[in-house]
Amino acid sequence: MKPPLLEVRNLRIEFPTRRGTLLAVDDISFSIAPGEVLGVVGESGAGKSLTGAAVIGLLEPPGRIARGEVKLDGLRIDNLPPDEMRKVRGREIGAIFQDPLTSLNPLYTVGQQLVETITTHLHMSAQQARARAIELLAATGIPAPERRIDHYPHQFSGGMRQRVVIALALAAEPKLVIADEPTTALDVSIQAQIITLLKTLCREKRTAVMLITHDMGVIAETADRVAVMYAGRIVEIGPVADVIHRPQHPYTAGLMGSIPSMEHESERLTQIEGSMPRLTEIPPGCAFHPRCDRAFDRCRRERPELLPAGASQAACWLHDAGGGRLAA
Amino acid sequence: MSAALRPAGAAFAAGEVIVKAEGVSKYFDVSPPWLNRVLERKPRTILRAVDDVSFEIRRGETLSLVGESGCGKSTVARVLVGLYAPTHGRVEFFGRDLAEVNTAAGRALRQKLQMIFQDPYASLNPRWRVAEIIAEPLKAHGLMKDPAQIAARVDELLGLVRLSPADKVKYPHQFSGGQRQRISIARALATHPEFLVCDEPTSALDVSVQAQVLNLMKDLQRELGLTYLFISHNLAVVHHISDRVGVMYLGRIVELAPKRSLFATPRHPYTRMLLDAIPDLDMTGRARTPVAGEVPNPLNPPPGCTFHPRCPHADERCRREAPVLKVHRRIGEDVQVACHAVEEDRIG
Repeated sequence: MKPPLLEVRNLRIEFPTRRGTLLAVDDISFSIAPGEVLGVVGESGAGKSLTGAAVIGLLEPPGRIARGEVKLDGLRIDNLPPDEMRKVRGREIGAIFQDPLTSLNPLYTVGQQLVETITTHLHMSAQQARARAIELLAATGIPAPERRIDHYPHQFSGGMRQRVVIALALAAEPKLVIADEPTTALDVSIQAQIITLLKTLCREKRTAVMLITHDMGVIAETADRVAVMYAGRIVEIGPVADVIHRPQHPYTAGLMGSIPSMEHESERLTQIEGSMPRLTEIPPGCAFHPRCDRAFDRCRRERPELLPAGASQAACWLHDAGGGRLAA
Repeated sequence: MSAALRPAGAAFAAGEVIVKAEGVSKYFDVSPPWLNRVLERKPRTILRAVDDVSFEIRRGETLSLVGESGCGKSTVARVLVGLYAPTHGRVEFFGRDLAEVNTAAGRALRQKLQMIFQDPYASLNPRWRVAEIIAEPLKAHGLMKDPAQIAARVDELLGLVRLSPADKVKYPHQFSGGQRQRISIARALATHPEFLVCDEPTSALDVSVQAQVLNLMKDLQRELGLTYLFISHNLAVVHHISDRVGVMYLGRIVELAPKRSLFATPRHPYTRMLLDAIPDLDMTGRARTPVAGEVPNPLNPPPGCTFHPRCPHADERCRREAPVLKVHRRIGEDVQVACHAVEEDRIG
């Protein structure tokens, strides 16, 4: 197996508050191979966006990495000073966020923003950078890029703006792109265009992608592997087809059942009772046990770690063959 | 109590048409201010948010309207509950003109029709307790005066939406998104409505919570015999909840058909395009055909069929003449499509 491009080990993100410290992400580990697309799914508040922010060093204070490490190409990047991290961000890791309007500066033309990114990270003259910017816009499918390059963000439609953001993220040919809900703000027909574009561009350049979304459909179409998060932890991680068709964790199974299907008709959707606990009220043992209909005594006492389950790994005691084995 | 609003002799049995929109249009004047128009010679600009839309809803059924943002689906919802007056056309509700709703005599009519909004964070007053929120329609309509009676009704409503009576002393911020949406549903049900307009009721919710709310809405429909107009951009949700579906594009309904027929054999090229665009959970790795182009600016829609610039089947007639939504004999009585290509049998 190839060495991973990104390796996250025992990452823990805390928010100190007046009423004690909140654990937003609790001891998660995963890796992404070069050219691989890892999907990260979960409901709002599961900690998926924070994980992405921690990887690119954009965690907003008071949030902080309390423990663990983030390695890119074998080098730790979580403890880099801000100046060093700025060089990694954009050059090594690109970012695409949900709302293209907030990730573009409204006062500069898209050309100025692209040229700035390119000249910051690559050794290019302004002319070369402009030529490259036009190339990038053309690659993202923006019609008449030589003219559009001098337009301001507000002159683009939502879908076109997200294309510009993708061009920006890929400008310095990073090895990894963090895409946080890249299609959520877009209409269905545009979503399909953007996902296809992201997939093609990253496959061509062998860019690895961490695709954060709550939309299982997008994951199914794009990701190689998928990590399912619940209450700050990864509850299941595995190849995308396995997680979708043979979910091993009761939460994943419930999540999959709650998505209305277009293929077959059902009178009722699978319903997971209750909702994800607030960070202040995470129950002991397995965080999912109060909502789980297969919970038994051990689930209430001990917290499960990721255990091998089919082709995936699931943090669930149902997969503990030894039965009495304690968490490692 | 419903006897009062029914026209004499007209009993509305199950399956009877209770809502009828006829040629409803809603235009918004988005012109620059008068002085700018005079000095800069700018013309008046009219946004045709909804343009000549007609449909009927029968008792006990769910009609959904789907479309991308800006297609006018929410405007239709607002016209239907009387929040906007239609520019042209009329809406009939139980055989009476909806314009009456805003008169004193329309009070009884108004109770029969309620709305559930998209954002459960914005549609509940954060300073009110749940009991006050749910009791407000009862008081506003003067249905109940006795506090004990009101309290009992509030408990009953909370039970209906599977919340506990103990929740009524809490404030909205103490609830999750899904629970808040249940509170809005309880409030909407307070006046014993028969027709609910639901404007994207689950799009602000996570999937597992969305499943709870959709299940609840289906249960309530069965228990209380409700009729829904369901507005959504999510085709999977629409597939789950509807009996009939109308697809909207730039203010017009382009296809109106029973759910099964629409999803199995979509007729209008735009419907086909929308169905093609949905990420598919069952076919991992399939390359889907991305939809070309974007929705044009509604201020300046293309002439003829507004979909023609994105349509692979467009010809000269489509660029010139706007198609009308109608039944095509070849397809069957229950499907209406607005497309020249379908009419001329150019596409299957």
